[in-house]
Amino acid sequence: MSSNIDYSIEPEVVEGQPKLNQINEAIAKPLETRPSWKYLVALGISSTMLLIGAVCLGFSFYYGIGLWGNNQPVGWAIPIVNFVFWVGIGHAGTLISAILFLFRQRWRTGISRFAEAMTIFAVITAGLFPLIHTGRPWLAGYLFPLPNQHRLWVNFTSPLIWDVFAVSTYLTVSFVFWYIGLIPDLAMLRDRTKSKIKKTIYSIFSLGWRHSNRHWHHYEMIYLILAGFATPLVLSVHTIVSFDFAVSILPGWHTTIFPPYFVAGAVFSGFAMVQNVLIVVRKIFNLEHIITLDTLEKMNKVMLATGMMVGYAYGMEFFIAWYSGNPLESFVFLNRAFGNYAWAYWIMVSCNVIFTQLFWFKKIRRNIVAMFIIGVLVNVGMWFERFVIVVTTLSRDFLPSSWDYYKPTLVDIGILLGSFGLFFTLVILFIRSLPVVSISEVKAVVKGSQPVHH
Amino acid sequence: MGKNKIWKGLTELRNPERSRLLKEQEFSAETKEDFELSQLGGISRRKFLALSAATAAIATTACSNYRDKGSIVPYNQKLENVLPGKPNFYSSTCTGCANHCGILIKTREGRPIKVDGNPDHPVNKGKICAIGQASILNLYDPERVKKPIKKENGKSRELDWDSAFAEFVNQVRSAVSRNQEIALIAKPVFSPSTARLLEEFKKRFGTTTIYTYDFLESFAKLNAWKQIYPKSDLPEFDFSRAKIVVALESNFLATEGNFVKNIRQFVSNRNVDKPEEFNRLYAFEGDLSLTGANADYRFPLHPSLFPLLLATLINEILSKYSNRLLNNKVPKDKILGLVANQNLENFSGKSGINKSYLELLVKDLIDNQGKALIVTGDSLSEDVHLLAFLLNEILGNTKLYTAKPKPRFSNSSFDDFVQLSKKINAGQVGVIINVDCNPLFHFPEDLGLKQGFSKVPFVVTLTEDNNETAEASNLILPINHNLESWGDYYDGNNLYSTIQPVIEPIFGTFQKEDILLGLVNGQLRAGAFHKFLMDFWKKEIYPSSNFGVDFEQFWFSVLHDAVYIPPSNTVINSYEPSFDFIEHKKLIAELTNDWTLVIKKPYFVGDGKYMNNGWLLELPHPITKVTWDNYAAISENDAKNLKLENGSVVKLQRSGKEIEVPVFIVPGIAEKTIVIEAGFGREVVSVVGKDVGVNPIKLFGLDNSSNGYVFQDIKIIPTGKFRQIASTVEHHSLNDTGLKDLHKSRHIIQEGTLDEFVSGKMEIHRAKELISIIPEVKYTGVKWAMVIDLNKCVGCGACVTACNVENNVPIVGKDQVVRGREMQWIRIDTYFSGTPENPSVSLQPMLCQHCDDAPCENVCPVVATNHSPDGLNQMIYNRCVGTRYCSNNCPYKVRRFNFYDFRDRFADGYLYKDSLRLLNNPEVTVRSRGVMEKCTFCIQRIAEARQDALANGRQLKGTDVKTACQEACPAEAIIFGDMHDKDSELYYWRNHKLGYFVLEELNIKPNVTYIAKLRNKKSEEVA
Repeated sequence: MSSNIDYSIEPEVVEGQPKLNQINEAIAKPLETRPSWKYLVALGISSTMLLIGAVCLGFSFYYGIGLWGNNQPVGWAIPIVNFVFWVGIGHAGTLISAILFLFRQRWRTGISRFAEAMTIFAVITAGLFPLIHTGRPWLAGYLFPLPNQHRLWVNFTSPLIWDVFAVSTYLTVSFVFWYIGLIPDLAMLRDRTKSKIKKTIYSIFSLGWRHSNRHWHHYEMIYLILAGFATPLVLSVHTIVSFDFAVSILPGWHTTIFPPYFVAGAVFSGFAMVQNVLIVVRKIFNLEHIITLDTLEKMNKVMLATGMMVGYAYGMEFFIAWYSGNPLESFVFLNRAFGNYAWAYWIMVSCNVIFTQLFWFKKIRRNIVAMFIIGVLVNVGMWFERFVIVVTTLSRDFLPSSWDYYKPTLVDIGILLGSFGLFFTLVILFIRSLPVVSISEVKAVVKGSQPVHH
Repeated sequence: MGKNKIWKGLTELRNPERSRLLKEQEFSAETKEDFELSQLGGISRRKFLALSAATAAIATTACSNYRDKGSIVPYNQKLENVLPGKPNFYSSTCTGCANHCGILIKTREGRPIKVDGNPDHPVNKGKICAIGQASILNLYDPERVKKPIKKENGKSRELDWDSAFAEFVNQVRSAVSRNQEIALIAKPVFSPSTARLLEEFKKRFGTTTIYTYDFLESFAKLNAWKQIYPKSDLPEFDFSRAKIVVALESNFLATEGNFVKNIRQFVSNRNVDKPEEFNRLYAFEGDLSLTGANADYRFPLHPSLFPLLLATLINEILSKYSNRLLNNKVPKDKILGLVANQNLENFSGKSGINKSYLELLVKDLIDNQGKALIVTGDSLSEDVHLLAFLLNEILGNTKLYTAKPKPRFSNSSFDDFVQLSKKINAGQVGVIINVDCNPLFHFPEDLGLKQGFSKVPFVVTLTEDNNETAEASNLILPINHNLESWGDYYDGNNLYSTIQPVIEPIFGTFQKEDILLGLVNGQLRAGAFHKFLMDFWKKEIYPSSNFGVDFEQFWFSVLHDAVYIPPSNTVINSYEPSFDFIEHKKLIAELTNDWTLVIKKPYFVGDGKYMNNGWLLELPHPITKVTWDNYAAISENDAKNLKLENGSVVKLQRSGKEIEVPVFIVPGIAEKTIVIEAGFGREVVSVVGKDVGVNPIKLFGLDNSSNGYVFQDIKIIPTGKFRQIASTVEHHSLNDTGLKDLHKSRHIIQEGTLDEFVSGKMEIHRAKELISIIPEVKYTGVKWAMVIDLNKCVGCGACVTACNVENNVPIVGKDQVVRGREMQWIRIDTYFSGTPENPSVSLQPMLCQHCDDAPCENVCPVVATNHSPDGLNQMIYNRCVGTRYCSNNCPYKVRRFNFYDFRDRFADGYLYKDSLRLLNNPEVTVRSRGVMEKCTFCIQRIAEARQDALANGRQLKGTDVKTACQEACPAEAIIFGDMHDKDSELYYWRNHKLGYFVLEELNIKPNVTYIAKLRNKKSEEVA
């Protein structure tokens, strides 16, 4: 049936054969027109969510984090779940922009800018949680190795300190990578704009880019180096986040499978989030020919692959729990599946493993509505995965006498809502202030833009 | 020269000589004299300066907002006997309950901060219960009544003491003149001087009648006793000499009798190094009590079956073993007539208890004649008590009876109060004086006291805090707390003890005796009773002392010890039985096997007096770990049949009365049995005790006291309502196979039988050879460790309260316990194994294990928790950011997090009220919000001991330090010390073959050794 497909020819990444100026027009349009009411409504909703989160956080600062559901065995709960979830979301961006760049995956060009931006926003959102989840957030500075008059240093054996370094490095590198990629586009915008203020701003941030050959030469080199630099970070950040759990002694946390399992999960959820947001963006801004259905389908394939890795990890955890003969470990996993948090476990399994199997069908892979729904489910599932790991483990550990059930409060939910608010507000502001697709890179992959042998 | 003479004034011209003299003396005669301060008239310059400085100082201090407007004592003038930073100790007597344990009060800079047992006291020997430990909170309770309050037409207003007292005096005098009764209601009076005062009161006011009563007093027990021993008083028991103890619904280890003494005596025969001395405890009970939890054999028994059980045992012993009985004085045939037709098969069939157990019990009783005790619970009926006394008599166990403290006036019977009520209604009572008691809460409404109060011209209540009785009174007079009072105590046999105040009355109150004495003398004067007390001792007790010292010396030495045992005054108690009652006694009142309600004494709230004590309300119930509530305890099967779960509210109905009470499923409760602890459900109480529990006394009528507090005419009706119950642990059914016996499979609890241990078959699970990748830290010098002997620990909770008081542990309130945020640093874990019908209960105090390789330490990002060179796991509160990672990684979950500023949050800043600030131990940091905390092994005590050692130039020894929990433990189950000191008790027990660490496999090297519990079961004989 498919014998007539020639795999030696790569399908076009950009549909049609838009003229370079058309690309400019299409991508720069949101930046040069007044926002529609839809945009304002979206911004209104997301900033309301952000405000709710801010108010909840304000109360938590004022009265204490007792407003949350955390209790004695369950010292970490929704804020840490949120932290891991958002760091995970941040993983798709760098993977798409750095690793796929190194592998010369040309289909990444349409989505890399957006994915990178989402990485930065997700890491910003994630980075808030370790600071606000503490009992005395005003002392969060103690977590940084700052010289001080007490001559007190941080504890380098604590994974939380590794987190501080991992997340801040990741944020910095992602930001620099993203910014370097933006320079040619900013220069293009500078050249297009007629507004003086915009021109000044674009001029400053485009660092005197003149599209010269020499500039391109340096640009390509630095971009490659940064991609090489960012690649290990994709793996290291979530590895280190997983160490928060793996380095502890709790059954259910203390497992060696955590680093790869977390990274796969992170890519999985990150792709789902990017896919979700892009579906909306390409529709609203008429970028269907640049962010093509083929690209989305490829993303769905990545989700299918990573989802199966995650599913494998779930199975492997059970196998090891049994195979190791450690009764504490077996108890934890049986308790996850059949204990008092079984509902969360089965939400996780069904969303992450069962529903993603639908991506085996090409029809579903290429159906916008279906893939959107599955993407949402994946993110729900991945949030619950972290919930299952963090909460069920803590709620029933070694001594049955200290067990307790954790129930989130409205403030917990409010802060979760606020984190989505912060993320989407940043995303929404981004799409009208910077080009959501890398103009220069897209131009390079349009049919006919590269010299070809005939 | 003379020619040009220039003169200044006529004097110089006319009288040059005088002029020259005047010039020589430049200053006038008055000013030229020597400058003598004392001779200066009026105010000198220096004096002026001093005075103006003082004026300025006074002006500035007077204008500042200095809180204490009373007399202040600066430390630059050293007070006698007070050294800043050093505690003083005063011995006194606790008046928290009728036991009157000796106490040692620790004061710092003049304020009491801790109460412990008085080591010189022969009865409680340096230990007190949780209530005694926590009672110090009542002293500083900001909601104590501070001024006399007059209630008129539903309004109350504060009075000054003079007018309040004047009115009191007038009312009493006019009542006497009208020849109306003055009813003085009080708790049992054990104080000889107070008794003398009351006698004088009676003399002065001839119409006085004194009523004394105890909460939930067992009239049934007293009546039973009087039938068989008409000549002697109700005894206590010497558990230290008992090899076999049979507890019938008796909670002698936690609520009944002097349980502090009982615990000590009971566990004295639980030393694993002396297995031959091990005692054996059988418990038959409807409830699951702490005593039952500690039993070797425990059998749930429906309360209706107790008479049958005893009759069966008596019949069995008399009919089968009469030739082996050592006591020949009992009329066997007569008794057999009483208990005829009972046999083990019959009872076994009715109760479901395996016959072999009953045979074992009978054999044990026969083998240990004179060394066994049958102990009955205060709730039970007259018949049960009677048969139990009879059985003890048959077996010759009366040797183990000891004298019970005897009040100076024998307690009023319930009938006396019925008579009082009648007199009130007939208008014969002019004044009711409630002295530090709460009869409206303690007595059933049917008695009509409440309505009666409104018919009496004047009701006055002397009380520390507002209560139901005070609310219904015309006048409330606030009185001193025990720690502010003078007093004494006599146990009726050979022991005196004294009460001395350790602080001025904080709220300007008077002690109750001062007020009564004031009535007698017609003048209220603080300290009047102090003089009265000394006079009494001088006249009545000192002459017989033969000390050969003057009275002052005698008195001060008595006050110093707070204990005085008069020479040659030992009363020898003999228990001469009379069997006459048998003739007209007919057993056994027909009891039905239907729903039965048992009302029991509460563990921690006394007679309801401690319903304003947050420490006690938050102290988890020893069995269910429920805080801030009482409940109707029912069995799992009953709950299933009625479709009830924990917290479901049921309506209990009984002859027209009803209460709504939440149920709680307790394993091991007999079926069709409801157990409620009384003392809860106070309606007029401080903010702390609001909405805490239900008052089951509302179900009482004018009942026949011979039934005890067991009610058979009870109906239970589910209401569909729900009440959140705050338990500190998760509860699941013992039938849940996934969760069953985890404490055993994880080796948290290791237990065996005595036989296994003696025969060497008992094996303690130990972790296999463990390797650590962490380099071992070498400790030199003292290294602290603890041993907890689970054979001795009965789970009374004294350690938890002692720790709360010592370490300024805040009260968090019910809503926070529901959220799982209780703050206690030490907890007592209760584990159930076996079936829900008859579980085996294991108790285990759990606190920070101060692991050598503590998992909390390496995960703290800011090094806020770390290890000291003497092996302590330390917390640096200032550095703590509150990531809670340490708590997550603690396998014992003993770390406690300040989710709020609990002091501020609990009852709207209750713990920040001025007076309660005085309660804090100044040696222990008061932790702020967002900070982790945990057991420190009482590091403040270690530091103090180290300073003392340094100051005295000696080496610090492990035995120099006693932790608060160790000091409080009535069973002496806790041993603390230096693990490197090879001669120490700690070293011995740490290396004992029964010692184990909890979760040893984790290789985190904990430093609390648990000595595995041995149950004295005959495993071979009984399947």
